[in-house]
Amino acid sequence: MNIAVLLKQVPDTTAKIIIAGEGVDENSVSKWSMSPYDEYALESGLRMKENNGGVLIAITCGPDRSKKMLTDAAAVGADTLVYISDEGVMDSTHVQQLLAAAIRKYEADVVLCGKQAADTNAGSTGPGVAEILEATCVTLVSEVSYTDGNYITMRPSNAGSEKVSTQGTSVFAFDKGSTELRRPNVRGIMMAKKKIIESITPSDLGVHLGDSNVHLDSQTPPPEKAAGQKFEGSEHVSTVVSKLRNEANVI
Amino acid sequence: MAYEALDFYDVDSLLSEEERMVRDMVRDWVDEEVIPNIENACRDGVFPDEWRVSLGEMGVLGAPLKGYGCPGLSYAAYGVICRELERGDSGLRSFASVQGSLAMYPIWDFGSKEQKNHYLPKMASGEWIGCFGLTEPDYGSNPGDMITKAEDKGDHYLINGAKMWITNGTIAEVAVVWAKLDGVIRGFIVEKNDPGFSAPEMKGKHSLKASVTSELVFQDCKIPKNRILPGVKGLRGPFSCLNNARFGISWGALGSAQACFDSAKEYAMSRIQFNHPIASYQLVQNKLAWMLREITKGQLLAYHLAQKKDAGTWIPEHISLAKMNNVDIALEIARVARDIHGANGILDEYPIMRHMANLESVKTYEGTHDIHNLIIGRHITGIQAFTRDA
Repeated sequence: MNIAVLLKQVPDTTAKIIIAGEGVDENSVSKWSMSPYDEYALESGLRMKENNGGVLIAITCGPDRSKKMLTDAAAVGADTLVYISDEGVMDSTHVQQLLAAAIRKYEADVVLCGKQAADTNAGSTGPGVAEILEATCVTLVSEVSYTDGNYITMRPSNAGSEKVSTQGTSVFAFDKGSTELRRPNVRGIMMAKKKIIESITPSDLGVHLGDSNVHLDSQTPPPEKAAGQKFEGSEHVSTVVSKLRNEANVI
Repeated sequence: MAYEALDFYDVDSLLSEEERMVRDMVRDWVDEEVIPNIENACRDGVFPDEWRVSLGEMGVLGAPLKGYGCPGLSYAAYGVICRELERGDSGLRSFASVQGSLAMYPIWDFGSKEQKNHYLPKMASGEWIGCFGLTEPDYGSNPGDMITKAEDKGDHYLINGAKMWITNGTIAEVAVVWAKLDGVIRGFIVEKNDPGFSAPEMKGKHSLKASVTSELVFQDCKIPKNRILPGVKGLRGPFSCLNNARFGISWGALGSAQACFDSAKEYAMSRIQFNHPIASYQLVQNKLAWMLREITKGQLLAYHLAQKKDAGTWIPEHISLAKMNNVDIALEIARVARDIHGANGILDEYPIMRHMANLESVKTYEGTHDIHNLIIGRHITGIQAFTRDA
């Protein structure tokens, strides 16, 4: 079984960022990490490989710095590392075209990714790639297993949670589940160092990206956080209790 | 607030990618498993067993040793591991130092092939904890005059004596014990259940509270003949172990110093007095600038020492300088950080007092600050000043 996991490198959620011009000043980012939902996709992919055998192909599309994340994926068990160079500014559709082409090239049977990336939060990669591949897509997946040609996934529903089974090429977009993520170890890190990253370009994949149909017209920073309220003296106790109960909903 | 490791001169950019990955692995583990639990561990006076398991799973024990299931990393990687562990707590780093440099190393360097095969894989995986018995109640800086002795009884050795200040003693399966056999210092492997051996825990420490410290007591302790370390005689044995452990400490102390700096910086930026953050006042900036200066110098010292260690161009005096300097500045940084935190600095909400109290031990163990000065003094002058009797 060929298991493709789509990964994106984003500023670490604990790293300080500086907004400059149209977005985050990349030079100001002190730490880049694998997008957290992608980590759950990777962990589920590794478990699927352990239970069913096969090859785990970690794929990313992005600037050169993203290669480091592929090595991190290899340290926990990814077998094949595929880096697609991004050429200039691309929109989500462009990225999906390249990822889908790489998934075809590596003949993946199943595709796992995060439900959205922690930087843009667009949430379009899983469904978009599935659309191009004409594959089945299940979103907000918390766990997946494979038996006798069926992929069994768990996802939330209006009744609580539901179990969904799919057949054939399927794309699963992961939410944070209760699955515990594995840590790398020294042996994995030393193996990862020897792994070759297969670098491919859009033209290697035979994809000709047209002009983007998406244009950023304007952007607005989030509003400044309102100042806190201050109460002094015991006469305010009932007001504070009522605010904590009815406005902050913490008691 | 997330920890931001101070690295003013980008010294970590000199590490290999593999070394940085090991750093991130240990740093993330310390953030997730150690920092949230360390104060409870100190209050209870225990070394959490989960930490032993995790260190084994990560594969960092005995970091620079090769073969026999050991990691085979560089000394730079070993240093980085010590630094990241000690950013959590000196007691945690002490556990790893003793396991790797003091218990595994002598077996790896001076043990027989059978001893290596028997002990090292289980010690690298963390299944067996090791300890190191050199210091005695009356012989600390002067181990050469130790009293503990071993006698050859034909088909076994008989050990009598006592060791003190032994990290991991009570929880260890394996003790590497130095004792005099016919007046010559030799290494012996003593196992937990050997007859005549006990390892009572020392209680009442105000420092390294999350680390187990013990006495080792030998009363006609009988061990098989194949437990002597065949490869070394004299003080060179224990001193080679100490060189490696001290190297790790020179990195580790920087972890404590960086934790104290990080906390002091955050506190100074958010603490308002006289209408402004205290970080905006010159006296506080002077303290922070001094901390950054000493940490940066210490990082360069530790990094260059690691390069010399990996290249094999080091001498013990290089290690003495780095251990002495980096622990000294770390302790002083912890004290100044306490100052910046004001009264809050004494609370366990901040790591300051814990690091400060730990570093008082670190300054004394593995060669006291003063003894390292004498080692360097002897190097400069050629005259030993340890004793007037020589």
